[in-house]
Amino acid sequence: MPATKSPPLLDPEFLHKLEQLELVSRKIFVGRMKGERKSKRRGSSVEFADHRNYSVGDDLRHIDWNVYGRLDKLFLKLFLEEEDLHVYTLLDTSLSMDFGEPTKLHYGKQIAAALAFIGLVNHDRVVLNAFGATLDGGLPSVRGRSQMYRIVQYLDQIEATGESNLAASAKAFAIKHTGKGVVVVISDFLDKHGYEEALRYLLARNLDIYVIHVLSREEVEPELAGDLRLVDCEDADEAEITISAPLLKRYKQTLNAFVGGLKDWCTKRGIAYIFTTNDNPFDKLVLNYLRERGLVK
Amino acid sequence: MEQGVFHVPGLPFDFATPLGLTAWAVLAGVPVAIVALYFLKLRRKPVQVPSTLLWRRSLEDLHVNSLFQRLRRNLLLFLQLLIVFLVMLALLGPRSIGSSGQGQLYVIAIDNSASMGAKDVAPTRLARAQAEARKLLDGMESNDLAMVIAFADSARVVSNYTSDKRLLRQRIDAIEPTDASTSLREALQVAAGLANPSKQVGEGVVAAAVKTPKLKIYTDGGFADVDGFSLGNLEPEVIVLGPAPPAYVPPTPGDATSSRAKSLGASDNIAILALQTRRNEEKTDMIQLFGRVRNYRGEDVATEAKLYRRDAEQPGGAPTLVDAASLKIPALSERSFEFDIPDTGAAELEVRIDDEDALAIDNRAYAVVGSPRKAQVLVVTPGNKYLVDTLKTSTAAERADVVVINAEQVKQDPFARDLKSGRYDLVIFDQFRPESDPQSNTLYFGALPPGKVYAESKPVQNPVILDWDVSHPLMQFIRDLSAVAVLKAVAVEPPPGAIELIKSNTAVLAFVAPREGFSDVVVTFPLMDGQNFNTNWFRYISFPLFLFNTLQTLGNARDAGGEDSHAPGLPITLRVDEAGEEMEVVAPSGRVDQLKRTSQGQFVYNGAGKTGVYHARWGKDGALAFAVNLFNERESDLATRGLVPEGTPPEQTDQYKIKIGYSPVAGSSKAVPERKDDWWWLALAALAVVIFEWYVYNRRVYL
Repeated sequence: MPATKSPPLLDPEFLHKLEQLELVSRKIFVGRMKGERKSKRRGSSVEFADHRNYSVGDDLRHIDWNVYGRLDKLFLKLFLEEEDLHVYTLLDTSLSMDFGEPTKLHYGKQIAAALAFIGLVNHDRVVLNAFGATLDGGLPSVRGRSQMYRIVQYLDQIEATGESNLAASAKAFAIKHTGKGVVVVISDFLDKHGYEEALRYLLARNLDIYVIHVLSREEVEPELAGDLRLVDCEDADEAEITISAPLLKRYKQTLNAFVGGLKDWCTKRGIAYIFTTNDNPFDKLVLNYLRERGLVK
Repeated sequence: MEQGVFHVPGLPFDFATPLGLTAWAVLAGVPVAIVALYFLKLRRKPVQVPSTLLWRRSLEDLHVNSLFQRLRRNLLLFLQLLIVFLVMLALLGPRSIGSSGQGQLYVIAIDNSASMGAKDVAPTRLARAQAEARKLLDGMESNDLAMVIAFADSARVVSNYTSDKRLLRQRIDAIEPTDASTSLREALQVAAGLANPSKQVGEGVVAAAVKTPKLKIYTDGGFADVDGFSLGNLEPEVIVLGPAPPAYVPPTPGDATSSRAKSLGASDNIAILALQTRRNEEKTDMIQLFGRVRNYRGEDVATEAKLYRRDAEQPGGAPTLVDAASLKIPALSERSFEFDIPDTGAAELEVRIDDEDALAIDNRAYAVVGSPRKAQVLVVTPGNKYLVDTLKTSTAAERADVVVINAEQVKQDPFARDLKSGRYDLVIFDQFRPESDPQSNTLYFGALPPGKVYAESKPVQNPVILDWDVSHPLMQFIRDLSAVAVLKAVAVEPPPGAIELIKSNTAVLAFVAPREGFSDVVVTFPLMDGQNFNTNWFRYISFPLFLFNTLQTLGNARDAGGEDSHAPGLPITLRVDEAGEEMEVVAPSGRVDQLKRTSQGQFVYNGAGKTGVYHARWGKDGALAFAVNLFNERESDLATRGLVPEGTPPEQTDQYKIKIGYSPVAGSSKAVPERKDDWWWLALAALAVVIFEWYVYNRRVYL
């Protein structure tokens, strides 16, 4: 059910709401520029963080002489360093995303655009990547509100193609992007190879990972009847089913197990997991849901 | 035992399957085929989904489940098998024990008389009767037999006993309305005669056992009670078609008309009940036309009788309006009308009443004037001057061509041949006994016809005339026989079926005896005894009157004033002078029938089913028109009979019922359907299952 004419990704009213928000990262990273964010790295900013014992080789400029005068011991003043944040967005563009009304892909694009906009407004470095079987070239990191048109342009030209291969794409991503920051993965995770390997690649990069799991309403509550031959749109795999109440019940159990399994897996590894369906208004998702989960503040 | 009927002990059913062994073998294959089709791959509808990942996992889980789960998936299979099972059960033809193996016999008698053409029951009463009869057929079991009789003035077997409902339906639909009167007796006689189907020969089924047939009479009740008829083993049911009678009105004391008359009361019809033509006695160039119109409505009617004339020279030409008479007829009564028209030769007259009513055919009446025919009379006499002179008066000459011969001539040609060929309408034998009967009506004076029945006779002297039958057409206007004296006569026992005309104290002096379609009038005393009178009858007016009546009645003469009207549906005897052997009759509808001369020298036309003017043609320019009119008060009276009005006290209901023999039969306006086949319910169950399956499939009811 590919959407023939996509509605506009963002409307001005929504953009205005987004301006009120700011991306938050639960981890503070070192960035190339001094930005508005606190970095975990103690450094040369104005906000005091902690003291620590002097050890040979430390910069003498950071010694807290007042403490030395009182305690006769050398302590270094540690500051929270403010730096700019990389916001990576990985958007699944496999064929399976091209389902639903609106399509999961369109829904994902809206989320990606909203997050990118928030990032731009907050002077973060925004990187967009689409992936199907492989990772695409992506949008090179952009920064500043004026670059929003590039984001929209990039998202608009994305079309659903091919199978999904989360692991290969995540591996390619991990190799390509060395910067640290937040990575948001928007996908339906309907990959027969599994999602664990892919997320491990990202975990290995010590990135702050957000998983936004998008499923269409039809997948959650299938409206099927009769004797059917289900054809997988990606690999043309066929499954013959006869719709019956037990089968539907079983499907829902499987779906719940799948969603729950992904959530558990993520939670155990410090990955923020957000489940949504395509009929959940995406602005609400961005403004309320993501804020609750700490992605946006 | 009937073929295909079997009984399983312990079951309150037996089975009467209409299918043979082969059909059952095929049928048994159906469920097997359905199961096989399910085991083969179902033709599944392909549906594209984002991923089969979750479905596959679900299926893998399900496959582990019990066989029962697997079977539940095939709900449709089970529903289909259930349907097939029910259909097979239905085809087994289970019947409650008690309904006999042979099936019921039905005699369907449908009234197609004139009144059944009334439109007060849409579209017509006959069409409604046919529809009701078809309903009865629908309710018939497969091994029931039915026969169809259409009856009007005579009954006709439309279909013999058969169980072929399609054929029966066809035959019922083919029953055409007639303009004839109704005689239930005819139908009952035919039904009773054929009620026992083992008598049946030819087409149809011959049932072995004697069953009590159910006689279903579809009629409007327009007939007289059938007296003296034993229903025997017939079980009659009268289905009365027509509007329901008005509710019962209790009789008020002092009211002459009974409540029945009131209740049966009015119907929507205005009918011409009589039309006669006669030459005006005073002005002989004028023809008088008398008619009688009855208003059957419950209200006064003002209408017009219009007289149309059509030239006999141009049959089928447009009629011209000649005269009209306005009529004001009070409710439920009659008015007569009269037209005087100049006699301008042969013409066809038609009287119309233009009012719209339920029955159209009695709004028209027909008459034919101006085609006189003279009787051909041969007189064999030793020279009776008085007799011959009486036959040669101008009045008699108008009606008859009289040829006088003596006893010698009659034995020679051409007279001997003409007598055998029926050339003459009437032969008068004066004191002459022929060797054989001539092919014509005869009048004997002082002689007896040939034949053994007249073998024993004895002479009587001076019989005194005591009585004579004035009601007989031959004795019309005869009043003065008491003054007539007879010297010698012959006493003879009149043959069976003869009507005595003149009786004396010692013997019958005149009688009329039937003979093969002819009449022999025998006057047992001679007119003359040699040169002397044997009677003084010549001196009285009754003698020429008697001869005139004889010419009129037995001479087949037609008055120029008008031909008698014939009733529809009855055979019409036509006499023509020419010796042609063939004649054709053109009906008003344009249908042409060829007739052959019968051995009696006449033509018998049986096709006058409809009212109107018929034209007979023969030879080069032989032509004769005759009118057929309904003129039947019972047919025109459309008030429904046989239905008991609402609110009638139980002790009075009998008077409304149709009486057949001594048993009143209550009519019903709708036949009670007699449905006993149980398979019908099974078929319904199968249908219900199909609907349920459809519901399950379409409304996504997951069980």
